[in-house]
Amino acid sequence: MSQTITIDPVTRLEGHGKITIQLNGQGEVEDAHFHVTQVRGFERFSQGRPFYEMPSLMARICGICPVSHLIASAKACEAIMSVRIPHTASQLRRMLNLAQMVQSHALSFFHLSSPDLLLGMESDPKLRHIFGVAAARPELGRAGIGLRRFGQHIIELLGNKRIHPGWVVAGGVTEPLALAKRDEILAMLPEAYANVGLALAAYKQIADTFGQEISVFANFPTNYLGLINEDESIEFTDGLLRLIDAKGATIEDGINANRFTEVIGEAVENYSYTKFVYYKPLGYPEGSYRVGPLARLNIVKSMGTPKADVELAEFKQLAAGPVESSFFYHHARLIEALYGIELIERILTDPLILDKQVRATAGVNRLDGAGQIEAPRGTLSHHYKVDEDGKITWANLVVATGHNNNAMNRGVLQAARSYVRDGKFTEGALNRVEAVIRTFDPCLSCSTHAYGQMPLVMTIVNADGVVTDQVIR
Amino acid sequence: MKPARCLILACGNTLRGDDGIGPFLAEWAEERFASQPEVQVICRQQWSPELAEDIARAQFVLFIDCSIDTAPGSVALTPVIAAASAAGLATHHLGAAELIALSRDLYHCWPPESLLLTVGAGAIELGEFFSDAVRGALPQARRLIEESVLDYLSSYMNPPR
Repeated sequence: MSQTITIDPVTRLEGHGKITIQLNGQGEVEDAHFHVTQVRGFERFSQGRPFYEMPSLMARICGICPVSHLIASAKACEAIMSVRIPHTASQLRRMLNLAQMVQSHALSFFHLSSPDLLLGMESDPKLRHIFGVAAARPELGRAGIGLRRFGQHIIELLGNKRIHPGWVVAGGVTEPLALAKRDEILAMLPEAYANVGLALAAYKQIADTFGQEISVFANFPTNYLGLINEDESIEFTDGLLRLIDAKGATIEDGINANRFTEVIGEAVENYSYTKFVYYKPLGYPEGSYRVGPLARLNIVKSMGTPKADVELAEFKQLAAGPVESSFFYHHARLIEALYGIELIERILTDPLILDKQVRATAGVNRLDGAGQIEAPRGTLSHHYKVDEDGKITWANLVVATGHNNNAMNRGVLQAARSYVRDGKFTEGALNRVEAVIRTFDPCLSCSTHAYGQMPLVMTIVNADGVVTDQVIR
Repeated sequence: MKPARCLILACGNTLRGDDGIGPFLAEWAEERFASQPEVQVICRQQWSPELAEDIARAQFVLFIDCSIDTAPGSVALTPVIAAASAAGLATHHLGAAELIALSRDLYHCWPPESLLLTVGAGAIELGEFFSDAVRGALPQARRLIEESVLDYLSSYMNPPR
């Protein structure tokens, strides 16, 4: 008699999704899926809008990473305008993107995952949340809040709003950086360094106690995709894409935004509104890969900043080739946060950072344009087509969660097979299956929020529709 | 004299009808108390954990929010008592009592006095308009904000002997 276990919603994620686990008659896990149950129509309703409206329109997709969409969209618009933005504008955008990465990584590590990591996967679910962390490890709770505020405050200083700033526009940014704001950001750096240092130390202290989770949290060979600089250091805002295989060998290098759709395809599965992105020459699903912090650190040879390079060297010791377990997304995320703070400091000492030339202007010079960047969760691409008047006729967005979709589904299945036995599961098992998804920190659509409390129910229903087991929290 | 650190903390979505009452009243309060540096106004679409630090620094906090649990247009002013979230699922949005609890747990410091002003919502559909009930409640809501803040400032300037 077959059964299906449903986890709905999956908690502590950006957006709403559910997990189903199908059991066979012997109570063994036969299959498992991660369903993204929201639908988002941005590509459709942007049609007919003037292209220069796209950055601020697209930023509304998300409340956590609006900056990523702003910048990717602006880059696509600049391709349509055929302009190169001023150096200072490029540096200011880079800083904005890094600030967002730091705040988003802090949210993922401290707010969403630290209850599992610091209190334990089996800890009382009534206490396994940010209040539990605050009570058990207040110094880490303060560090998390401090690091998130650091990123958010930089976004607010630069963009005049902490969410959906309108400062990034096609052609650059709307206003230069003021001296007082630069000095304010510089003054925030020591505390940011201290906070990320505290988080890294705490992570390293507990990581070894998660050996079982490390072995089954999406721990399998895959390809990896991410932006990289010419010197093979990490890149978030410019650079070109590199795809490597499970052994670390380069499959394809130098993929620019214009070639993205030539080599990257999107498959559809009937159980999710999120598409499954893959590398076309290898086909689907063989051409699937992972993106985001783990992928980026597997791809690069250096971070390009001294403190993060020390951490990267230690990270690379985890495996002879690419680090495979998605559990290590947590570790990679903290190293990237450290890198972000270091690079922000470097950008602020650029002698041209206060320059007033921060915007290029032009009309429609091409009818097709694409932009790509690294969002906190992974590679993000915006691709637009316009008519002669500059009105959008077609748009396509490929987001990090789509790139990771295949790996997330395989990861859920791997964890379910380890933790669901004979058709039975514990609350801790339920939490671990959810925690696999949390390692990827997917953003399902922060623009869609449910009202009120979301009780989590995991139920086993047999083929006759009879509930045979249930956990509620 | 040290700043009194009176914090007015509002939340709401200006695109969801009466849910925008928090931001609307926050804007009014910012103008009303513009000449008083002791009063700080923060308005967010949602109250998130980061606000715990601002709360920990304040001596008096007035939370302002819309309520869908009370009658449309009804205005209530109630004391806030620290309480941790029972479910703990909402990391994107916390209530007033939860924020006070988080300030206490993280910073071991919380305002001696906190009040929550709510205005009962009549309609929270998409739109930038208030319902008649909420429009009618505006004078009372403004008066209560004014009285609460001035009461606090008065007690701060003239502490009981």
